[in-house]
Amino acid sequence: MDWVFLSELAINGALTGLLYSLFAIGLVLIYKASSVPNLAQGGLTMVGAYVVLALARDVGLPLWLAIPLAAVVMFGLGFGIERVALRRLAGRPVVMILMLTLGLDIFLRGTTLAIWGGTSRSMELGVSYDPLFLGDIFISRIHLVGAGVALALFVGFMLFFQTRTGIKLRAIADDYMASWSVGISVERGVGLSWALASVVAVAAGVIWGEIQGVDQALSLLLLKGLTVAVLGGLDSILGAVIAGIILGVVENVGADFLDPLVGGGSRELIVAAVLILTVMIRPHGLFGRHDIERV
Amino acid sequence: MQEKVEAQNILSMNSVEVLYDNVMLAIKGVSVQVPKGEMIALLGSNGAGKSTTLKAISGLLKAERGRISRGEITFQGTDITEALAQKRVEMGICHVIEGRRVFEHLTPDENLTAAAPRGMSRSTLNAEKDKIYAYFPRLAERKNSQAGYLSGGEQQMLAIGRALVTQPKLLMLDEPSLGLAPFLVEEIFGILQKINKDEGLSVLLVEQNALAALEIVSQGYLIENGRVVMHGTAEALKSNSDIQEFYLGGGETDFHNVKHYSRRKRWLS
Repeated sequence: MDWVFLSELAINGALTGLLYSLFAIGLVLIYKASSVPNLAQGGLTMVGAYVVLALARDVGLPLWLAIPLAAVVMFGLGFGIERVALRRLAGRPVVMILMLTLGLDIFLRGTTLAIWGGTSRSMELGVSYDPLFLGDIFISRIHLVGAGVALALFVGFMLFFQTRTGIKLRAIADDYMASWSVGISVERGVGLSWALASVVAVAAGVIWGEIQGVDQALSLLLLKGLTVAVLGGLDSILGAVIAGIILGVVENVGADFLDPLVGGGSRELIVAAVLILTVMIRPHGLFGRHDIERV
Repeated sequence: MQEKVEAQNILSMNSVEVLYDNVMLAIKGVSVQVPKGEMIALLGSNGAGKSTTLKAISGLLKAERGRISRGEITFQGTDITEALAQKRVEMGICHVIEGRRVFEHLTPDENLTAAAPRGMSRSTLNAEKDKIYAYFPRLAERKNSQAGYLSGGEQQMLAIGRALVTQPKLLMLDEPSLGLAPFLVEEIFGILQKINKDEGLSVLLVEQNALAALEIVSQGYLIENGRVVMHGTAEALKSNSDIQEFYLGGGETDFHNVKHYSRRKRWLS
């Protein structure tokens, strides 16, 4: 057994996993407020990346300005989605809202295709691709940057949920009716959670866009992001971070063992197995809250 | 003279009809007045329309696809029949909904924070919290545990405390005694009475436990089948033989002599 190689796989797996977490945090934010997995999070991530590119390339702004500006635009878009589409669905069965998010994802993909076409564009963040060695272990710089962004967002949101606005959002997640009864604006809370998830989508879009190029395939991140969110418990940000690391490591190390046996392609199988087994064995995930039953 | 009477009522509800899903008539012309600073009870059996009456006043009907199809509600002289629930809370109407419904995954302290009105300063919020903890010392002891694991009585106290953070002028409570031990009911009702006296808070109390309710309120309304069928002072209601028989229990102790066939809710027909 080559321990150096194994730890390299594990560490890079963990870093990639944190990039999944970066995506999954957006899912968790919306799930917390609306109890719906947002199937359009992939679409939002893709749009986030396109908006950054539009501002940087088409308008010609420097990236350090284009990214925050895109975050502002997406923040507005998130609020808009709640205002235009979701508010009408308040009180309807959850499956309707789920279908709405699916429709939204298709719509966003179609829109970007119509405006920017289907050719992959590069983000050109300017992160060096020179190998970074930690002892004998090779680490990708962009993955390291992305993992840092994911952890920073994690800490940021943990702090945010202790503020008064954050507490109100958690209250909304607990009980709509009780929230209305004390004058909390549930509609605005849900809007805010969509807005924040859209900002997270910009971060995920920039990092993933740098790694795999900006095109409609970015929206397919949803599958891995959803797996991470489900494993973490859908409504736990800490869960999303830890589940991301777990999935990344299992996927990277597992694929290295399995690929020679099955002749490649085992990555997807591992992700699928994790998703299916989580739902079967532990539906509320690692850190999801169960409904409290007092005895 | 008429105007003076109006001014004394903090809440006035006139011939209000409520429709659910545009078809089901839940209350059929209910009129209730709450005089400023008094405690009023709405009594009646299950499904009589008591909760619907409260939801009509707090604006929570909308969340259950109900609407006021006739009549009007005025609060401090302002027509609120069409106002949003959030607006009504800002005006000073707070509704402690049935079944306690605390934010289970938050701590009691966070439950209170969540209800803080927009723009309430941190120091005002802390002062409000201190006041609530003084009324409910049990909550103070457990303010950092998870609200979902509080006992039933503590959760009811928290639900009331949470409503008080909104600084209401009219507090409405839906079945606060439900599922609680008698000594807890007594404790909570005692605290409500104290808050009513100390702060002049008007209270509209919905109760099936008529015995406990009539001990603390000044007037009561009896609602059956979506209509007000009786209204009087607490004293008058307590001594009414029909009320004793059907809502207070124990009107007759000698069960051999109870003539069940002859006693029915005559006011219903």
